Formats: sequence, structure tokens, C-alpha cells
Amino acid sequence: MAGIEITSLHMRYPDGTVAVDEVDLSVGDGELFVMLGPSGCGKTTTLRAVAGLERQTSGTIHIGDTLVDDLPPGERDIAMVFQFYALYPHLKARDNLAFPLRAEGLPEPEVRRRVDEAARMLQLGPLMDRRPQRLSGGEQQRVALARALVRRPRAFLMDEPLTNLDAEQRADMRSQIKHLQGELGATMVYVTHDQVEAMSLGHRIAVLNQGRVEQIGTPMEVYDRPASLFCAAFIGSPPMNLLDVEVADGSLRGQGGLALPVPPGLPDRRALVAGVRPEALEVTAPGADGAVRGRVVSAEVLGDEIIYVVDCDGQRDVRVRMAPTARFAVEAPVGVRHVGGPPPVYDRDSERLVA
Amino acid sequence: MARSLVVRARPARSSGGRVRRLVEVVLLAVLAAAMLFPVLWMLETSVKENRDVYAVPAKLVGFDITLDHYRDVFVGPAGGASDLSVALLNSVVVAGASTVLATVLGVPAAWAYSRFTLRAKKDQLFFILSTRFMPPVVVVIPIFLMYRQLGLIDTQLGLILIYTAFNVPFTIWMMKGFVDQVPSEYEDAAMLDGHTRFQAFRRITLPLLLPGIAATAVFALIFSWNEFVYAIFLTSSQEVRTAPPAIAGLIGGTTVDWGLVAASACVFALPVLVFAYLVRKHLVAGVTLGAVRR
Amino acid sequence: MVLTNEHPVQEVTSTPPAPVRTSRLGDRGLAAVFISPAMLLLLAMSVFPLLWALSLSFTNYSATGSAPAEFVGFANYAEILTSEAVRRRALTTLVYVVGAVTLQTVLGFGIAYLISRRTRGRGLLTTLFLVPMMLSPVVVGLFWRFMLDAQFGVVNSMLGSLGIEPVEWLTRQETAMVSLIVVDTWQWTPFIMLIALAGLTAVPRYLYEAASIDRASEWFRFRNITLPLVWPLLLIAVMFRAIEAFRLFDLVYILTNGGPGVSTETLSFHVNKVAFLGFNTGTASAYGILMVVVVIVLAQIYLRYLNKLKED
Repeated sequence: MAGIEITSLHMRYPDGTVAVDEVDLSVGDGELFVMLGPSGCGKTTTLRAVAGLERQTSGTIHIGDTLVDDLPPGERDIAMVFQFYALYPHLKARDNLAFPLRAEGLPEPEVRRRVDEAARMLQLGPLMDRRPQRLSGGEQQRVALARALVRRPRAFLMDEPLTNLDAEQRADMRSQIKHLQGELGATMVYVTHDQVEAMSLGHRIAVLNQGRVEQIGTPMEVYDRPASLFCAAFIGSPPMNLLDVEVADGSLRGQGGLALPVPPGLPDRRALVAGVRPEALEVTAPGADGAVRGRVVSAEVLGDEIIYVVDCDGQRDVRVRMAPTARFAVEAPVGVRHVGGPPPVYDRDSERLVA
Repeated sequence: MARSLVVRARPARSSGGRVRRLVEVVLLAVLAAAMLFPVLWMLETSVKENRDVYAVPAKLVGFDITLDHYRDVFVGPAGGASDLSVALLNSVVVAGASTVLATVLGVPAAWAYSRFTLRAKKDQLFFILSTRFMPPVVVVIPIFLMYRQLGLIDTQLGLILIYTAFNVPFTIWMMKGFVDQVPSEYEDAAMLDGHTRFQAFRRITLPLLLPGIAATAVFALIFSWNEFVYAIFLTSSQEVRTAPPAIAGLIGGTTVDWGLVAASACVFALPVLVFAYLVRKHLVAGVTLGAVRR
Repeated sequence: MVLTNEHPVQEVTSTPPAPVRTSRLGDRGLAAVFISPAMLLLLAMSVFPLLWALSLSFTNYSATGSAPAEFVGFANYAEILTSEAVRRRALTTLVYVVGAVTLQTVLGFGIAYLISRRTRGRGLLTTLFLVPMMLSPVVVGLFWRFMLDAQFGVVNSMLGSLGIEPVEWLTRQETAMVSLIVVDTWQWTPFIMLIALAGLTAVPRYLYEAASIDRASEWFRFRNITLPLVWPLLLIAVMFRAIEAFRLFDLVYILTNGGPGVSTETLSFHVNKVAFLGFNTGTASAYGILMVVVVIVLAQIYLRYLNKLKED
């Protein structure tokens, strides 16, 4: 296995659009590194540059100690899993797995050994003699994964591999991938737009937006302290509440009188936004101390929790996560109060974290 | 990846690739030249003076241009309309009428086949397709006898009828593909709004089918325009003959006016090329009767 | 609707009743109306003549004779199947169809492959290559007859500039068939090319990308991605072409008129000769029916083979 160094990667197309804007990333050896962002943010383009399927305008890429910029994809010692599986349609699963090994010229016994090993790791036994059109989406993706495994590459590149699967297959594959990565200690660069996938799989996550890296950190770092308003809105389900706040007499106040604990190092500025997670709020009776008045708009009863959407004074659609024992009726007047530690605070204009 | 960028950055490539690309380009150029040369040659011939037309060795460049041959295509020796121009006009009438008729008959049928489940639909459609594959020879003889009895030999109507009969299967097959692509939900919505099935067809679906109808009609036009076998066996007189037999007749005698032949061929081929260019997007579907769609 | 003490009678303010929208034709009726005219025309102009031809084939009818037709059973069929002349034309047709279609397939696929590797100018190239196909076989025949003329044809001219003796393309038996095949290839290679190109461009790009990451050689990619995905389409195109080549009349008539002698007379040409030169209508009908039967049988076998391939 090897780490991957991406330095000042810049990718600009002839018509002027910049897909990747001076991106620096460092993937550790044996790390599952996730690139997360909405479609068009440059994550897939970056991945394809690492694979060698596209050429960067400037910047360098190292896989291990090797500078790979001028190497064709086949010589970079990487394997890739595609969004649409990319299985060779007329070959059986077994031959799909054997394909890359035969292309390299490996002797047949060795080919067979590695194919069986990969098949075992992904429980492909009964599927081996079927053609892709007779496999379900999840099964096809497992075959694609196995095909990547047989090569024993220095790094795995995954381009939204679970996007085409249904919810159940997705959850299943997620745990398989995580398990596999841990067992093999494989270096994986994983691209997705699904933040649940990113949070559950990644050792570290890079959040990308419009070709730039907004933040790199562990899942909890990205969750607790998003580096920008974009990350704050993107990570978390239901999304973070972004509340306009102002500093008054050394304390932090949201609209309608919501009291918030003051984070250390808070600058004295006008236009500030606090990122408050739904679980950092609670719904109480109206008029409680430090609470803002509001009216319940809807309640999503999810079994293990209830998500209330409350229209508060000065802020609409505030989301609050409560235990299932809470019972507030729709249209009921309530109060919303902050519980928990100091929230991350952002400058409204620069959109970046200031405290 | 949902988004596909207009121009991809080139992947890393070895220098062997550049040589290979050069070879490919050269090969393509040579083949393209071979494909186009006869056409260009005939164009050249049609504007050459007779002495250059028959020059040995053939003159590729360095000749005077004349439009005499084109004039001869349209103007007869006595000064009136030439026989060829009559033939061309006949072609226009016959091809146009048969196309219109085939469209009028074929489009509704295609729509009905697409929307409704009918008894033995697959068989019906296969039958329709198979008529297209019959060698004309088998049908020409009985049609000849039939026309003789009905007095349709050597008439425009006779040709129009047979061309329509041959264009209808093609029209049905190709249009069915187009109709399949228009969701029937549009008609359902219209019927919920109070329209009848027929009104929904006329007001909603038909306008959406216009591009498909145009493409199909062009193909029918091309077929009727180029058709030779029926034309030559079912018509004989100058007044009724269409262009293909008339032009073919130019090489009957002992001496052949190749300049005139070239000019007539070019005049005859031009409308088809123009039309084909207009429907180039549907060409694959058209030539395979809708079996293959891009 | 307002009910008050002052107005005991209801004021009707509802919308006026919808106009009667029942159509007089139900769905089935509509389908019948839409389909029948086309069907009738086809029955009259295709099925009926075919049946008539079938019945004629069992007679000795002659369209120019005044004698009424006499039933002769299978005599016509026997005569054709044992005829040396017919056998000869069958061989000619076989040579022509196999030669032309093979050449067209190889060339057509090759050109399509070359075009598919380009990123720019594809539309223009495709349009250029299509020109021969759109021309009438009459026009094509005339063009090439002029070009292949032994005396002032441009082909011999060009050969002459290379120091080669002029060839009598259309007037010598050996070269006449070659000329026919070449001209047919010139005209119809674009057909195969179009279809092959459609198949090639439909191959998903990510398959090639996966192959390039798997270090597959060009040949490997061609054999395991390109060929298997384009193969079925190509076979359909070949079938279309073979059927059309079998039916071909126009080109033979114009280019060689079956000559020199009868060396380029295909079955299609011959049957027309028998029908309209000799006016042996009965025999010609039998001839035509046999040809139809052959086409149907061969097509069925071919399609069955294709379906088997698809299932593997």
C-alpha cells in the first residue's frame, strides 16, 4: 500500500471552466479517505486525475514515492471501482475477475488462486459463473470490487460506487467495504455526494465545493466544527440550523432572544451566524428562560426520535431533535432553548468559521 | 457522473499514440477521397465541353466550364421542354403523391399499433415488415397483369399506388418507433381533461410527432424518387415515365452523350442529397427501418 | 349556493354541464379505422399479387399469348430447379452476394472504427461517407459505367498514368463480376458503416476506462469490449444487405445488362428477363416464388442463429 500526495492540482478546461482549483490533499498509507461534495464540485475530476484518465492542467500527483503525472492509467498500480460497475458484459463474473490478471500476463494457476481469494472475500461463490446482466446491482458492484482486489494495487479509487444501488444494498455494501478496507489496510480514495456514506466510512473527509477544498478532518471534526457555512449546511441530517446571532454585553443572542453559550475567542462583530445542531436544541413550554418563542410546524416521528420543525420569532424552520417521549402538537405554541456546548460561529460575509 | 464535460482533458499518452493517430487520419482521408471521387468526377464531367469529356487520357483539371449539358437536360432540341424535364416532373409528382399518401395511411396505423394492444399485433407487424423484403420481381408480374386489366399501365396513378404500397410498411415501422417515444401519459392527461382519444391524438401527439414524420417522409420520398424496377416495367411512354428510366434510356443508342448523362444524373441526385442531409440525424433509424436507433 | 331566509329557492351557481364528449368510435373502432386503410392497401398490392403469382406459377400462362392458362402442376418448378441456366445464375448470385457483402462489412466496419476514434469532425465525416448510399442505383450505375469505360473511363486513365494497360472492366467476363462487386461495395459500404458506427458509439466509455486501468492492450480491448458489443448489430446489418443484394436489379441492368454474355446475370435479373422478354409468365412466377421462399428460409435460419448467439 502507499499514500497519495496531491499538490496544487489545477484542472482547467479549454472553455475556461475550472473544475479543480489548486487542491492539496494528502492521503495516508492505509487510510480510507473520502472526498465529499455536491455534483460538480470537482471530486470526481480529481479522482480521475489520480487514476490517469484525465490530465491535470498543473500540479503534481504522487502515489507512494512515484511521480505519476506522465504515466498512463495502467502503469500507476491503482485499481478503480466505477459508479456503473463497468463489468465486461459478455464475460462471466469469474472471467471479469481474471481479466486484469490475464492482461498482465500472469500464469494461469496464479490467476485462479487470486480470483478464488477475491471471490471468497466478497462471498461471490454462487455468482461466479453468471454474466453481469444476470446479476443484481449490488452483486455487480461486489464483482467490480473483487476485480479491483485481485490486482493487489497500491491504492483503490472508488467513484461513487454505491450511488446506483437501492438503500438496502447500499447499507450492506457500506459495511462490506469498511470491513474489507480494515482487513487489508488498503489505501482508498472514496468519492461520494452522500454525507452519510462519508461519515460512516471515512477516516478523514475532504469537503469540496466548486473545485476547492472547504475542509479536511475526521468525521467528528467535520461534524462538530464545520469550517464554513457550506460545510455546515452540507453535513448532518437533518441539516444544521444556521441562525443569525449578535454579540450583546459579552453574551451571544439569537433572534427572538435565544440564549447561546459564548465560544472562546469570539470576535466582536456585527454579522455573525451560529451553526446549531438539531440535537443542541430542545422544545419546551413557551416563555422558558433563554428560549425563543415559536410554533410547531411539523413533527417527523421516526421511532427512535422526533424531529420538530418550528417557526420561531425571527427564524423559520428551526429543526429540533427530541427523544420520542416528547409530545408537542402541531400548531402548538412552544419555546425553543439551546442546550449543550458553544456552537461554531461564522462570519456572515466570508462564510468562514471565526470561533 | 451525471455531468459530462464538453471537452475532456487528454489522458496521459505515449508517443506511439501520435504515430497511430497519423496513420488513422491518412487512412480515413484516402477512404473518404475514394468515396467522393466518383461524385466529384461526374460533377466535373457535367460541366466539361464534349471534347474534354472524351479526352484520352482523362482530364482532371485544366478544362473550360460549360453549362450546355445542363441546358440540354431541361431544354429539348426544338427549344421546348425536353423529354428529361417531363420525366423529372413526373418523378416529382409520383414521389410526392406517394409520400403524402403513405404518410396519411401509415402514421395513424403506427400510432394505433403503438398505443393499443391488438390481437396478433406482433404477427401483423411482422407481416407488414415482410412485405418490404419481397423481391419486386415476384410482385411485378401480377401487378403488371392487374394494371393491364384495370387500365393502369403507363399511368402516374399506377406508379403512385405501388409506391405507396411499398412506403407504407416502412412508414409504419419507423413511425411506431417515434410514437413509442412520446409517453402515452400525455394522451391520458388530455382524456382526463375531457378530450376523446382521437382528439388527444390530433392535438397533443401529432404535433410532437412532426419531426419524426418529416424524417420518415423524407425517406419515403428518397425511395420513391430513386425507384427503377416498377417504373421501367409499368410505364413506357415519354409523358408518363419518371426520371430513372428516362435517364437510363440515355445510354441506349450507339453513341452516348456522357456529358448529358452526367448532367442529368447530377440534377437527379441533388434533391436526394439535400433531403438526406436534412434528416442526417435519423439516417441510421431510416435505413434499418427503425430497427436500430442511435 | 346560498340559502337564506330571503331566498328560499336555491340559487344555482354551478358551472354549466359539460358538453357531451362521448365519441362515436370506441378505442377498438378507432384502431380499426386507423389501421384498415393501410392494411387494405397492403393486402391489395402485396398479398393479393403474391397469391396471384403463386397461382400463376402452377400454369403455363403467357402474358402476351391469347391462349388461356392451363394448369400444369409443378412442371414450372421442376423446370426451374433442374435448369442449367438457373443453376448458373444461382452461382453468379452467390458469388456476387458473398463477395460484395463481405467486402462491404470489412470496409464498413473499418471506416466506422476509424471514425469512432476521432473526436472532431465526426458529423462531417459521416455525412460525407453517406453520399453514395443516397444515390439511386441508376445514377450509380451510370457514373461507374462511364468511369469504367475501356476507352475514356477515368479509371483506366489513372491506371495508365501508373503504367498499367487499360482494362476492359465491363466487357470481359472475369472483370465484369469484379466491377459489379466493386460498384455495389462503393455504394453500400456506408450502410454498414452507419450501423457499425451507431454500435461503436453506444459502447459505454467507462468500459474502456476500466480496461485501461486494468492494463488491457488495444487488441484485448477490441476483442473483449468492442467486438462483443457491436457484433449483434453488425449481423443485423449484414442480413439487411444480403437480402437487398439478393434482390438487386437496377445496378446490374445499368452497369452490365447482365453481360458480357450472361456472366453477370443474377437470379433477380434473370427472372425479370424471363418474365418480360420471354413472357413466360407462368414460369417466371414460379421462379419468383422460389426466390421468395429461399429468402424467407435463409432469413429464418439466420435469425434463429442470431437469437442463439444472444442467449449465450
